[in-house]
Amino acid sequence: MRLILIFTLLLAAAAQAAESGTTVKSDSVRAAPFSDAKIVATLPASTRVDILKKDGGWYQIKSAQGNGWMRMLSLRRGAMKATDKPLSGLAGLASGRAGTGKIVATTGIRGLNEEQLKAAQYDEKQVTLLESSTSSRAEAQKFASKAKLKARQFGYLADPGVSQ
Amino acid sequence: MNTLTAKIFTVAGLALFLHAAQAFDLGQELRNAAKELQKPGGSANLGGYSEEEEVAIGRQIAGNLLGAAPLVQDNKLQKYVNNVGRWVATQSERPDLVWHFGVIETNDINAFAAPGGYIFVTRGLYNKLGNEAELAGVLAHEIGHVISKHHLKILQQGKLLDLGSRLLGKQVGDDRISGLIGSGAEIVSRSLDKGAEFEADRIGVVLAARAGYDAYGLPGVLQEIGHSATDDSSVALLFKTHPHPDERLSKLGDAMESHFDGLEGQTAAQRLYKIRQQPGRN
Repeated sequence: MRLILIFTLLLAAAAQAAESGTTVKSDSVRAAPFSDAKIVATLPASTRVDILKKDGGWYQIKSAQGNGWMRMLSLRRGAMKATDKPLSGLAGLASGRAGTGKIVATTGIRGLNEEQLKAAQYDEKQVTLLESSTSSRAEAQKFASKAKLKARQFGYLADPGVSQ
Repeated sequence: MNTLTAKIFTVAGLALFLHAAQAFDLGQELRNAAKELQKPGGSANLGGYSEEEEVAIGRQIAGNLLGAAPLVQDNKLQKYVNNVGRWVATQSERPDLVWHFGVIETNDINAFAAPGGYIFVTRGLYNKLGNEAELAGVLAHEIGHVISKHHLKILQQGKLLDLGSRLLGKQVGDDRISGLIGSGAEIVSRSLDKGAEFEADRIGVVLAARAGYDAYGLPGVLQEIGHSATDDSSVALLFKTHPHPDERLSKLGDAMESHFDGLEGQTAAQRLYKIRQQPGRN
């Protein structure tokens, strides 16, 4: 029953094909998801757009100024509240937690606030259990190969704040 | 002499006074620690802990955290998360550390790292993930905290007195460690400075990319969390201890620029393990 409810909600979310978004900074809209693609428009910060789909680091968008592709990190997703609410409400229901964040005594599932973390007692059995699932490097390599994941070189990013 | 060094010397003086009976050269140890702090990137090589000491500290913290929220009872899930996490960690500077990953039983949305390679994701956050690349990105952010030793740095600064008497004196035992880290698992929820979070984000996207994943997994999760209502209790602790996701995305965007353009990566969406059991039923 719960599963059916979740699927229904997911379908409802998927049916809302165009999701709203807002630019977090001024950036170009391009004809294709590449940095050297032709610039279709330039949107100022806080412009509302419709997000149609994602491709790597790019979102395909529609806006009053023009349609095309924008960098994912120049946009924030917004106006999903309508689907968010029932989902978080459902999660709250499943866990027995009230929306207020108060713990309902019947479930044994608790949230994690600072007080609870402070009061936590060491649990050796749980640590042993944790360590029983540990993967070796070789296991991880095998697991990666199954999904055709290949290691590659890539340098760390500089802190953009430091050069200023 | 900068203020940090001055502060360390003050504490060093106090520690010497309190522990005068102990013969080891605490002053010299603390001067060494102060030197480490002054080096560029001092947080990365700070401490002078052996790996054994670091792991002992992390294991204690992990046990305390698990006392507050136990592992989700689903062995396949835990094994899956360890496989993804270890593969990502293998791309870091510490590929041979024995890394441990776990999903813990709380609907709060959060992830935690403890020194020595102990990393946790909550059920609440796991349920928000859309593909394996997003899981890899979240774990990679936490791996970033471990390899940069962000929490060790807090321990060192906040509990220098204990460090002087216990760690640097090489008298580490489990009961001593609990004295060092304080009660419970509060350390995992301690706010790191914003710079440390942004640094872990930058490391996170790079490690995920190195592991062959779509580098935009972590940004995708940040976007997903970013539009959670700020009054949603499941993100209260996360929002309190981290910069807002929008700010993290903006900083990450500045750092990523066009470096990842044309870099193909896998989302491995079809392989993301779905938690079947509901809480309280296992």
